[in-house]
Amino acid sequence: MSRDKPASILPALLLLLSAGIYAFLFLHAEQQWEVAVLAILGVAAILSAGRLGISGQVERSWRCSPVLLGWLAMIVAAALIYLLREDHFSLLMVATLLLYAMVCLGLNVQFGYAGVVNFAGAAFFGIGGYTAAMLAGHTATPHLLILAIAGLLSGLIGSLLVLPLLRTRGHYAALITIAFAILFRTFLEVNDLLGGPQGLKVPGISLLGWNFNDNIEIDDETQFSFYLAYALFSLVLFALAFLLVRRLERSWLGLSLDAVRIDETAASVFGFNVARWKILAFSLGNVLAGVAGAVYAMMTGFVAPASFTIAESLIFVSIIILGGVGNPIGILPAAALVVILPEKLQFIQEYRYLLFSAFVILILLFKPGGLLPRPLRRYFAHWGKA
Amino acid sequence: MDAGLLGQYVFNGLMLGIIYAMVAVGFTLFFGVLDVIKFSHGDVLMVGAFVGLMTYLGLSGLGVTSGALLTVCAMFAAMLAMGVLGALMARWLVLPLRNAPAINVLLITLMAGTVLRELIRLFYPAGANPKPFPRLLPTDAISIGTLTLRYDNLILLAVGVGAIVAVHLLVTRTKLGLAIRAVAQDSETARIMGMNFQMVVLVTFALGSALAALAGVTAGLYYNEINFSMGLLLGVIGFSAAVVGGLGNLYGAILGGFLFAALQTLGAVWFSVPAYKDVFAFALVILLMAWRPTGLIAEKAAERV
Amino acid sequence: MVARALRFALVAALLLCAPALQAKQTVKLVFIGPLTGGVSANGLGGRNSADLAVKMRNADAKARYQYELVSLDDECKPNIGVQVATKAATDRNIVAGITHYCSTVAMATVDVYHKFGLPVVVWGAVLPDVTYAQDYKEIHRVNGTMINQNETAAKFMVAHGYKRWAIIHDTTDYGKGHNKYFTEYVTKNGGTIVGTFGVTADQQDFSAELTKIKDLKPEVLYFGGTTPLGVRIRTQMDKLGVKAVFQGTSGIVSDAYVEGLGKQAEGTVAFREGAPIEKLPGGKQFMQQYAAQKYNDPPEAYGAFAFAAANLVMDTIERVGPDRRKLRNALNATRDYQSVVGTITFDDHRQNAVPLITKLVVQDGKWIVWEDSDFAKGKRKLVAP
Repeated sequence: MSRDKPASILPALLLLLSAGIYAFLFLHAEQQWEVAVLAILGVAAILSAGRLGISGQVERSWRCSPVLLGWLAMIVAAALIYLLREDHFSLLMVATLLLYAMVCLGLNVQFGYAGVVNFAGAAFFGIGGYTAAMLAGHTATPHLLILAIAGLLSGLIGSLLVLPLLRTRGHYAALITIAFAILFRTFLEVNDLLGGPQGLKVPGISLLGWNFNDNIEIDDETQFSFYLAYALFSLVLFALAFLLVRRLERSWLGLSLDAVRIDETAASVFGFNVARWKILAFSLGNVLAGVAGAVYAMMTGFVAPASFTIAESLIFVSIIILGGVGNPIGILPAAALVVILPEKLQFIQEYRYLLFSAFVILILLFKPGGLLPRPLRRYFAHWGKA
Repeated sequence: MDAGLLGQYVFNGLMLGIIYAMVAVGFTLFFGVLDVIKFSHGDVLMVGAFVGLMTYLGLSGLGVTSGALLTVCAMFAAMLAMGVLGALMARWLVLPLRNAPAINVLLITLMAGTVLRELIRLFYPAGANPKPFPRLLPTDAISIGTLTLRYDNLILLAVGVGAIVAVHLLVTRTKLGLAIRAVAQDSETARIMGMNFQMVVLVTFALGSALAALAGVTAGLYYNEINFSMGLLLGVIGFSAAVVGGLGNLYGAILGGFLFAALQTLGAVWFSVPAYKDVFAFALVILLMAWRPTGLIAEKAAERV
Repeated sequence: MVARALRFALVAALLLCAPALQAKQTVKLVFIGPLTGGVSANGLGGRNSADLAVKMRNADAKARYQYELVSLDDECKPNIGVQVATKAATDRNIVAGITHYCSTVAMATVDVYHKFGLPVVVWGAVLPDVTYAQDYKEIHRVNGTMINQNETAAKFMVAHGYKRWAIIHDTTDYGKGHNKYFTEYVTKNGGTIVGTFGVTADQQDFSAELTKIKDLKPEVLYFGGTTPLGVRIRTQMDKLGVKAVFQGTSGIVSDAYVEGLGKQAEGTVAFREGAPIEKLPGGKQFMQQYAAQKYNDPPEAYGAFAFAAANLVMDTIERVGPDRRKLRNALNATRDYQSVVGTITFDDHRQNAVPLITKLVVQDGKWIVWEDSDFAKGKRKLVAP
């Protein structure tokens, strides 16, 4: 393989800047036609990037100095959030986007890496939310600890499903997660201890004495939205989750997961402990979903069984398929499409489930890799530079 | 508990069971033929019920009043329409993905189900509201002690049993059934032997969907109400029933359907809050899957690693 | 000549400026109710009534402001309600809200309105906790609560000789609230509850519960919940041969109930606070103007309350201007406000007292006031006690 000159950092920088500007314009757009035009431009850009080879260039340039670019990405995101500091609803959308993306990262580990299908993503999201509701509402546990407990509890309850999941394959495994999703919702609805169909109120996050739910008042005139704190917090959590998932993918753990997904029989022949890897992937994914769920519950202040139905689980699954199964980078644009677009384009608000399902069908028929298909794994350092 | 009350419970269970069994048989047919789980089956059932309703509205608008005629027409229209829909879905959604990972087919059918559900919710007038389904069957009842057996329930039960028996006879005694079983067993060899693979698949899907439509109209007549989300739960229950009985096995599907209905009825009786019955039934399904991963009447070939 | 031209120019200028001078500031209000789903009939009726109030106000030249009504759908689901409430409350252009028919949604959203300081007037939710469980100054309510409803219901039915009740209620706070208050009043008045069953709000099949109830042989089946479930339970009651009077609450008083059941609705009894629209002080006029607008759906049981709530809000805005905080304080102080549903006075929890409870029964496919019906005159019988 030939080695050409090292790629410059420029394409990646340009991408970051343009993404930031685009996001700002999109969130600020008020008129319907503005939003529609921006949306079409965005999707076209992503699709053509694949065709024109731009995504390859950007990827190479990113690899020049990933740490620096990673920090820059965080700064751009934080700047975006700061620019929106007085707009309650936009910040709420940004925070929701980040939290949904975090759940999808978890689902990606389960499905994209290990091949374990999970149609109960919303249920684990809900477990995190309800844990936060019960602990924050009734005990004096410090909130960071609550987040950790929420994640652990999600992972633990997920492990209850692991035995049936391990013994089954394909459709049967899907059935188990679907049955669990329905069971979760029905159980919450009939159970009074956990609030019943009415739901539970959840107090906001307070870290080190600062209650996130208080409006941040700089002086009498300016008042920052309290969602600012949540958005920044979600950004940090998402970045951590993203880092974790990326590291996982590139480590021997990721290799093992891929092997198990691609061909279980062959993997077991080669000595992989299939059960162990599936359990790891499934539990990790659920932990991420649980933590995200806890933050989401504390941000919106409310959990109810009707928020965590199988329809929401299917939304999460749609996001990872749209974005490209196995590719964590695709999750953000896909989640933006699914979460933010319906809020901005009022007239599609009602039709959003229909449109997303139709979209996914089209993707599955014509572009099963999704918007940003997972690139081939680089087993050797010089692969991909040709 | 006296015999009449017990009998009433049994009868309720039978009614639920026949509806579930019809759905489960559809699932099993699809799986047998193409190794696919068509998750949109429940929503096909719902669309079938709506087609039946529309047929009724249309015909009674034209002045037809005979209950029997309306019922038969509604059933036939629903079965025909859903047969066509099922074949179309097979042709455009399932067959193209024949060689893709099984998960993709599962996903595409799940999404297709959502599309059907949303189409009805958005485009049928006031689709989001539950719609009353007309009472077309005679409502007198026979009373044996404390047990009340209404004629309409008996008729529905008979229709359901008849349908399943008809499907069974079709699959075991006719040439078409032979073709279906051949394709299910080994599609490549069947094709070498000169069978029209695509035609068999389309016919199987049409058959399963027609059965779902019948189940939908039956459910509509039984509950006197249909709504756009009825397919979701019925589909999952039908699937669970098919799986519990063993996918690919017709008898298993029927067994699974009645078993699930029995679980639900038992749950309703035992628990002081009857709403726990679904939790109970689904939890048991998960446990059953852990114990017997390929269903009660196991698949003949199983991959285990 | 020059003077005439000048005068002409001056008049022309004034005339041209007049529209600009007369341009009123637009004030946005939000209406939130169940516009889709099982109880959408009530939500649409409320929305149309609020819309009527806004249209009538905009046609009034003396109004200081131009009003715009934004309507949002809460689908009678608490989580959706919280989402749309957040959307409305975070929009700084929206000054006030006319909110909620479903009690479950109203309970979930009170925190949102308080957090963002949006004053709202509830028009249909009857759970007492909405105004009484916390002291949020933003939450007002013009319709009554379920306490009076159930007290009158219990006394009425006992007075007519019924002694044994079975209760089916949905497991939301709404259904549970009804169960709690009705059980309390029935036992106080000497009746007995032979069995209580909680069902989920979207349950389809009641054969298990109804079979058990049949065994318990009650005289009356009390249902605490909303129309879709009421229709299903009543239908399945007949299928299983349960012979009892079907008694409901304000949740089933809607045209959708009788439409869904046809002849089987005959003889259902229900209770609702407030007088029927025709008997209200401004009722006939309201009905006329509602009909003139040719809406697709009737106002249903609570339309008049939505109309009154919208007018109350707009009248207060006319007085104090479109500022959320001023509006909230002014609304808190509402006393003896004359509206289409009678006099509105808010107590210390911003709850209006509606002491009159109407007893209703379905006769020939319509809800009629009990006293006017053939049942009261003895010409027809409910299922005999």
